[in-house]
Amino acid sequence: MGKKMAAEKMNDVPAIQIEGLTKRYGSGPTAVDALKGVDMTIWPGEVVGLIGPSGSGKSTLLKCLGAVIDPTAGRIQLGGETIFDGEWKSRDLRALRRDRIGFIFQAPYLIPFLGVTDNVALLPMLAGRPNPEARKHAVELLQDLDVAHRAGARISELSGGEQQRVAIARALANGPPIILADEPTAPLDSERALAVVRILNRMAVQSRTAIIVVTHDEKIIPTFKRIFQIRDGRTQEMAGEGRAVA
Amino acid sequence: MINLAGRDIVHHWGRYAFTGFGLGLLIGVTLSMAGIYRGMIDDAQALLNGSGADIWVVQKDTLGPYAEPSNLRDDVYRDILGLAGVRAAANATYLTMQIGHAGLDVRVMVAGFEPGQPGEPHPLLAGRPVARSHYEAIADVKTGFRVGDTVRIRRHDYTVVGLTARMVSSGGDPMLFIPLKDAQEAQFLKDNDAIRNERNRVADNPAFNRPGVPGLLEAVQASQTSSRSVNAILVRVADAAYAEQIADEIERWKRLTAYTRADMEEILVVKMIATSARQIATFLVILAIVSAAIVSFIIYTMTLGKIKEIAVLKLIGTRNRTISAMILQEALGLGLIGFMVGKVVATLWAPYFPKYVLLLPGDTLSAFFAVMAICALASLLAIRTALKVDPAEAIGG
Amino acid sequence: MQRLIKRFGVIALAAVLIAAFAWVALTQGPMAPPKVVLSEVREGALAPQAFGIGTVEARFGYAVGAVQAGRLARVLVDQGDVVKRGQVLAEIDPVDLDERLAAARSALERSRHSADTAAAQVGESKARQQMAQASASRFGDLARQGFVSGDAVDAKVAEADATRASVDAAASALAAARQEINRANADVAGLAKQRTNLRLVSPVDGIVTAREAEAGNTVVAGQAVIRVIDPASMWVRVRIDQGRAAGIAPGQSGLIVLRSRRGEALPGKVVRIELQADPITEERLVDVAFDQPPAGWSIGELAEVTIEMPKVDVGLFVPSQAVQRRGQQAGVWRIEERRARFVPVKPGASTLDGKTQILDGLRAGDRVIAYSEQALQQDMRVRTVTSLAGAGK
Repeated sequence: MGKKMAAEKMNDVPAIQIEGLTKRYGSGPTAVDALKGVDMTIWPGEVVGLIGPSGSGKSTLLKCLGAVIDPTAGRIQLGGETIFDGEWKSRDLRALRRDRIGFIFQAPYLIPFLGVTDNVALLPMLAGRPNPEARKHAVELLQDLDVAHRAGARISELSGGEQQRVAIARALANGPPIILADEPTAPLDSERALAVVRILNRMAVQSRTAIIVVTHDEKIIPTFKRIFQIRDGRTQEMAGEGRAVA
Repeated sequence: MINLAGRDIVHHWGRYAFTGFGLGLLIGVTLSMAGIYRGMIDDAQALLNGSGADIWVVQKDTLGPYAEPSNLRDDVYRDILGLAGVRAAANATYLTMQIGHAGLDVRVMVAGFEPGQPGEPHPLLAGRPVARSHYEAIADVKTGFRVGDTVRIRRHDYTVVGLTARMVSSGGDPMLFIPLKDAQEAQFLKDNDAIRNERNRVADNPAFNRPGVPGLLEAVQASQTSSRSVNAILVRVADAAYAEQIADEIERWKRLTAYTRADMEEILVVKMIATSARQIATFLVILAIVSAAIVSFIIYTMTLGKIKEIAVLKLIGTRNRTISAMILQEALGLGLIGFMVGKVVATLWAPYFPKYVLLLPGDTLSAFFAVMAICALASLLAIRTALKVDPAEAIGG
Repeated sequence: MQRLIKRFGVIALAAVLIAAFAWVALTQGPMAPPKVVLSEVREGALAPQAFGIGTVEARFGYAVGAVQAGRLARVLVDQGDVVKRGQVLAEIDPVDLDERLAAARSALERSRHSADTAAAQVGESKARQQMAQASASRFGDLARQGFVSGDAVDAKVAEADATRASVDAAASALAAARQEINRANADVAGLAKQRTNLRLVSPVDGIVTAREAEAGNTVVAGQAVIRVIDPASMWVRVRIDQGRAAGIAPGQSGLIVLRSRRGEALPGKVVRIELQADPITEERLVDVAFDQPPAGWSIGELAEVTIEMPKVDVGLFVPSQAVQRRGQQAGVWRIEERRARFVPVKPGASTLDGKTQILDGLRAGDRVIAYSEQALQQDMRVRTVTSLAGAGK
């Protein structure tokens, strides 16, 4: 609660607000309710964890938030703006994803035929920013993530950790207000995993980005200040340890 | 703005170039097939052009001299020369035969001509024109003979004194030009055994072998071995506009058959080579269809290979338009490379075909548009597949 | 850096492909300008020649044969025999001619004897006439003396007249007998001539070239039995196309190559151009005699003859293949600003080795198109190359 007040001081508007989000797959007797009324509020600059067993609806929730699938019912607001209330408000979901949502996947999923810099600069360039400016910004992000020295390499030449950092830079490049991270540390060892968390925290504070991290990685769960547990399609907020990462 | 197609091509340049090259070979084969078809038609026209004639006069009611055998007396040309509007009329003979040279058999059409008259081969590629009235020859380069070679035709040896190009029969056999009298002898004078046989037959005939009439038998035998026939008379007219008229006159008054250039084209192109032409045309169509299918398959496969990246792109917010443009541009680029490679290889290997391959610029242009169209259509299928990809797959269960 | 190299490499590859494509499209195929080879107009000597094939024949050949039908009794010579003028070559069977000759001769003898007999009779009748005349005159004398009657005188006179008549008769009998001798003589002469005709003799010194009948064969009047030629009169009767026969004159030298002896060129001279040409084959007949009769000749053998025509000492000439026709006009193709142009010329003599004299229309050193890939049109773009096809040796 205190955090909320602190956040309120900075910004009144939640980065993400979900109310009663449901998702039903199929219809009739064989229908499956993956989400059964999820409520969630997340403020800008927060890094929250989303944990739960497999099949609990974690991915479904991310897909709904990422405007990748259509929720059955509920309301989603991003930065105060309602983007879904039973139906998508925006026609151009891709623009929504490109400009408002950043994705970090389990695997880096970098585009192999674009170089490191261009992988990061891709979305800004597609959004219309001039190429040199987008690239300059990309390089800055890469520097922040300590991977700029590999800017000239091919994607296949980067190590897993380097690729993940480039992926993070990509997610941040277009300056989206929210980032959805799906098991970003799954393939990493503890040192690297903590480094990723460190970076995420830093970026969240730096650019006031709200980050939801879906994970079941024991190594990083203690670092979250807020944790949402999802079970059987319902979420429950827990207090996190908020252990500091150096 | 960034060009995704360009990046992808440069990244996989080896594979792309290799695919383009393979596609180019396929297009080259298709172009060559079209070239073979055109070459066949051109062979027939080259024969007509090379003879330098406006009217062909042949034996009555035959389709000669190329489509059917035709025999005329060799003094008939004088009558035709006397007609108004006729600039030149000359005898010509044509005989397709095998000639042995350097251990190989070459199939040639031996043509008899008179110097300075329609039917004389020109221009030359090498050597000199026939200067002697006998035993010299001009050969088309496709015979493989060279200036100075000696070839044997029937009873005599002929020295090749000059070479010419694109002088072929309608069937594509290269031509060999020898003086008319030699050609008449080659065609109409039989071998020695046959001559002796004929002499004996006449000698056995009491009507010709009369003891009371000395010299009769010899005279009859001599008349049998004189070669007084030709296959056609080539006529050149002063004004091409009147060719039809003059041909009609010849037919009416001289009891012969006369064909204008248009008639001969009809006979050669439409009748004589029609079946072969249809054969090739059918194969060409099938080849084109197969090529289109293979192009589509290649482009589809290329897209499938990128399906993961396409899903990621879609998920992170790349527009459908951008992804479609990438696929289309890659397809068109592939088509362009394939077309250029195809044109280059088709031109490079055309001279090695035994018959003439004619690659017309019009055909090349049509091929270009066809290739581009096929690539664009093929990319549609790939685009449809790409756009149907569910970006959600990038986010694991 | 690596990307730069890769980028550069890819661009280079693309450039190569585009260049190859452009080269192919512009320089190959039917749109490309045809290639031509040039040649220079040169000045120099020209040696025009005429060529024809002919047969070895004898100028003077004789068919020795019968003037009347008969059967050959003997043939005395064969092919290749040398014969002399007047030599008997063959004989036709006289059948009964000898017997008839003998009969005529006997008749002649008999007529001679008859004439002798008639002459004797003339003498006898003359003698009787003299006696009768003397008797008549004596009786006349006696009648005047009256010793005999007038009848007796008349009778003696009549007798004298009678004897006179018989003298006349005997004289004409003698004349007849003499005519009979002439006739019998003529008969004999006639049969003797016939007999001579049955002997076939050679009209000249020469060589027998054919023996066309054997002993026992029946021959008809006009049929040749033996053919004789005068070998010194052997020549080659050459057929030259009428269009190329201009300029041939007696006295020009030539080379004769016999079909059986291809490696040898025998020298000869033009002896005569026959006044009668061959209208069917459109050839003139030129008789070329051997300088030396060749060893091992055969009448009727084919020969190739090349006749040297008057040389042109100094003239402009081009290769024969450069001279083309456009309609009725002869000319050459030249290049002006990379385009083909037809230039009319007046051509002169041509040689057998491919040079044609140019009388008018070009200068020494001018370059003309000698070879081209395809027929040229006025103003067509062309490309000059050094050679177009394998020239062999």
